[in-house]
Amino acid sequence: MKPILELRNLKMYYDTQAGQVKAADDVSFVLNEGESIGLVGESGCGKTSVSMSIMKLLPENGRIISGNIFFDGKDIVNFSDEEMNKIRWAGIAMIFQAAMNSLNPVYRVGDQIVEAITAHEPNVTFEEARQRVANLYKLVGLDPERMDNYPHEYSGGMKQRAIIAMSLACNPKLIIADEPTTALDVIVQDTILRELEKVQKKLNMSMIYISHDIAVIAEVASRIAIMYAGKIVEMSDSVVIFKRPAHPYAIGLMSSFPSIRGEKKELVTIPGEPPNLLNAPDHCRFAPRCPFATDECWKQTPSYSEIESNHFVACFHPQNLKKLVNMNA
Amino acid sequence: MPNNEVVMKIENLDKFFPMKKSVFSRAKHFLHAVDKINFEIKRGKVLSLVGESGCGKTTTGKTLLKLYEPTGGKINFLGRDVTHLMNADDKKWFHSKTQMIFQDPFESLNPRKTIFDIVSEPMNIQNFETLKKRELMVMEILKRVGISPPDAFLWRYPHELSGGQRQRVAIARALVMKPEFVVADEPTSMLDVSIRTQVMKLMMELIREMNMSFLYITHDLAVARYMADEISVMYLGRMVEYANSEELINNPLHPYTKALISAVPVPDPEFKRKSVEIKGGIGKPIDPLPRCRFYDRCPFAMEICSQKEPELIEVGENHKVACFLYEQR
Repeated sequence: MKPILELRNLKMYYDTQAGQVKAADDVSFVLNEGESIGLVGESGCGKTSVSMSIMKLLPENGRIISGNIFFDGKDIVNFSDEEMNKIRWAGIAMIFQAAMNSLNPVYRVGDQIVEAITAHEPNVTFEEARQRVANLYKLVGLDPERMDNYPHEYSGGMKQRAIIAMSLACNPKLIIADEPTTALDVIVQDTILRELEKVQKKLNMSMIYISHDIAVIAEVASRIAIMYAGKIVEMSDSVVIFKRPAHPYAIGLMSSFPSIRGEKKELVTIPGEPPNLLNAPDHCRFAPRCPFATDECWKQTPSYSEIESNHFVACFHPQNLKKLVNMNA
Repeated sequence: MPNNEVVMKIENLDKFFPMKKSVFSRAKHFLHAVDKINFEIKRGKVLSLVGESGCGKTTTGKTLLKLYEPTGGKINFLGRDVTHLMNADDKKWFHSKTQMIFQDPFESLNPRKTIFDIVSEPMNIQNFETLKKRELMVMEILKRVGISPPDAFLWRYPHELSGGQRQRVAIARALVMKPEFVVADEPTSMLDVSIRTQVMKLMMELIREMNMSFLYITHDLAVARYMADEISVMYLGRMVEYANSEELINNPLHPYTKALISAVPVPDPEFKRKSVEIKGGIGKPIDPLPRCRFYDRCPFAMEICSQKEPELIEVGENHKVACFLYEQR
């Protein structure tokens, strides 16, 4: 498998009046062609900052301090805006959080997608672009006749489908979906997720799903990275993450989710709150909330290392879930 | 202490909203937000209203607390008919015994008031006890909801608190006068996963401690299962199914409940859900026809479903469903 995207020790900080906010600190992962990975974490843990760094859509006070982002073999960290414009949409497309509210209310939905195409591919005529949009509509399960409707005539789910069609408009190799279904109802969420999965398989695209909901990620991603306070704390195949989570935060996250399957279980709570990333400490960032923390954890940051094949954890005391359950029982 | 006292009971509760073209025109159409809903909540019990957005769950909750004037039906609270409260004393009595917790702790707390002012406001309005006593009660409830030490927070403003702390303050405000009945409208949906579990556990403890009756409104069946003794599923203003939580999750009968349960993502990558069978989106109950409101989307729709509306019938012990599939007996 060929890697399509590789992040190597990416550091992205925001400069604020109060100090430096380390939103993404030493983030590394590889995404292969046709693969889908999930980025899970609570709000403010840096998920969106990572995706914005990949798109290089950072606000003025956000800077990539160091590290590399290889897309399709090229390091794009030092690309100019012009070079990035060629990659955005055509190479990497993004479905933003609550994107359905970002459709312009005074333009027909179809025309907005046509505009996205003609802006990136000036050689395409209006008619060709319209034909392509009609095909995209069919692909995402929308009736092409609805192209000439305005956004207010669409339901929330339809708008989200239109946004997905728009993200596919220039045949990108990679789609970053940032909370693509968070504002939708469960039944609509289900159909949208299935649609995305189908399209991804059909076009052999790579996907990065970003969500706070591990249940959603479990369904769509083949590999999962769990982020906490600007760092990836654990990453592996989704089955491994769910079967053998090793980082105490990952374990807490898994067992704090209510499920409607199986026996009703007592939920586990993680004490405390996620830290402020302003002037982040040098020690393990989870130490203040961690039941297993020792002196070591308060002195230095644990390295991100492989504990078994393809299973990376950043923790001094990786845990064995089975042992823990036996201990409690 | 077994106590079967019914705290809140509603019979055929209706709430219609007039759809006016302009302020001066007469309403020709009505939105049937809540249509002939019946249920009762016993002391110390939690009933959860579940459904997609726009199904009328919030309107039901607000009508119960008399934040909306009901269009029809009866509301019975602690054995008294409170459907239409006319004199000030009755209103005061009713509102001192009932409270509401809102969804968004960022909007439900006045940014210009200190935590003390916010939590003591219900007592000020009710002219409850002396100032000295109020201060003690505020301290006590803040400590109980996990805002500690309380005196360090009394004079702070909402913006100085995190989302989880704000929702704790909102809970403190609702519970400071020891209400007998509380409506909680999606109180955890804006919170992060690890904080959400903490708040859910806190509410469970408080319900038990104070022996309150709770109406818990949520779109998330997994949360409802964890929080509630009984679950009621709503669809376009009608109650379609009602049962004990475990019974409803394990043995759903109504096609809509089945779809809703099968659409919930499962946090287990190896579990393959059956796809949802229903199509289309939820409409609006404006002047609904006398037929089953799920008729358009139901995979089992029969002729009779388009001719009249199914009544809620008892099909098992404390298990009611409004569907013709179960009516042949």
